[in-house]
Amino acid sequence: MDSILQGLLDLSGVNAALVVDGSGHLAAFLGKAVYDRALCEQAGATLLKAVDSLQLQQEDWETVAAQFTDGKLLLRSLGASGGTTRFLVVVADATLNPSFATVALRVAANKLKKAFEGGGVAAASPVASQSGFGTPYPAPAAAPRSGPSESAAVANTGVSWSKMGSSVTLTGITVNDPASATFLSRCTKELARAVGPMSKVYVQEAIRRLSPEATYTMALRAKLVEDLAAQIEDGTDRDQFLRAAEKL
Amino acid sequence: MSALSTIVKLPEVRGAVLGDLTGVFLDAVREKDGESIAAVMGFVASALVQAGEQLGLGTLRRAALCGDARAALLVLDKKHVLTLKVEPAKALPGVEKHVETSIPGQG
Repeated sequence: MDSILQGLLDLSGVNAALVVDGSGHLAAFLGKAVYDRALCEQAGATLLKAVDSLQLQQEDWETVAAQFTDGKLLLRSLGASGGTTRFLVVVADATLNPSFATVALRVAANKLKKAFEGGGVAAASPVASQSGFGTPYPAPAAAPRSGPSESAAVANTGVSWSKMGSSVTLTGITVNDPASATFLSRCTKELARAVGPMSKVYVQEAIRRLSPEATYTMALRAKLVEDLAAQIEDGTDRDQFLRAAEKL
Repeated sequence: MSALSTIVKLPEVRGAVLGDLTGVFLDAVREKDGESIAAVMGFVASALVQAGEQLGLGTLRRAALCGDARAALLVLDKKHVLTLKVEPAKALPGVEKHVETSIPGQG
């Protein structure tokens, strides 16, 4: 299973590949840097809601290709086997070659279908797959299934950023608007290029240093970037982070 | 979405529905079930927006939903969601290309 997902992850621009089952659990996943199991599981649960709704209009859906300003989300149905439906998700940045991705996704989907149908994978329980870049995580409990409108409310009412799906280790950080949440996600991602998966912890600690209430607003943006840059030992990495942060 | 009129004239676009991210129906062309489509696709778009925020992918521009025989293209402009029903499904890339070149911010 991991070798199939690794094939997708080897594509230039792909940051994570995951298989989500009909109950919103990850059946398998591999991710780079900040794309850890907790984040992928939460995104997977959100995407399941999109797929469930989509089926109301188009039961025979095969693929979904969502184009964002900074990346792409590709979904492909894996059909049903072992009493549950599954779909494959690829998270990619803007450098992804769409033609290569289409082929790779089709190949991976065929292999995954065979793996699930052939009983190579325990279909009834989440597979103990893990990030290829970190320590294996235990299979977590079901992710919360809040609707998109609830998410907007969460962002507006200042609920913990960590509860919006960023990390199990990052707790108690509050954001007051979606722009702040998006900035923190991107900033953490950029920082991860220099410091690896610990970037979330660095961001959390930096916000607590800058705001005693652990509340992040865009007014703290410059100070946060400065604080985080100061923690990058390598000068080249530090400059790279500062350049990237300017564009966020 | 001033280019809407030209896009809906494409022969492969069998219908178009304009709604918003809360699922409110605003307008429809060659589509009888506009309210239902606006509601479902508004929710689908909202969930994709949410997933994009979680994954740090930025703002959702559009989403291509493809099946065996038919497809749909969701085009987002601020809070508006335009759903284009495309048949046959293989015409989707052409319609998407048209959207990319004719609607500002979609390229």
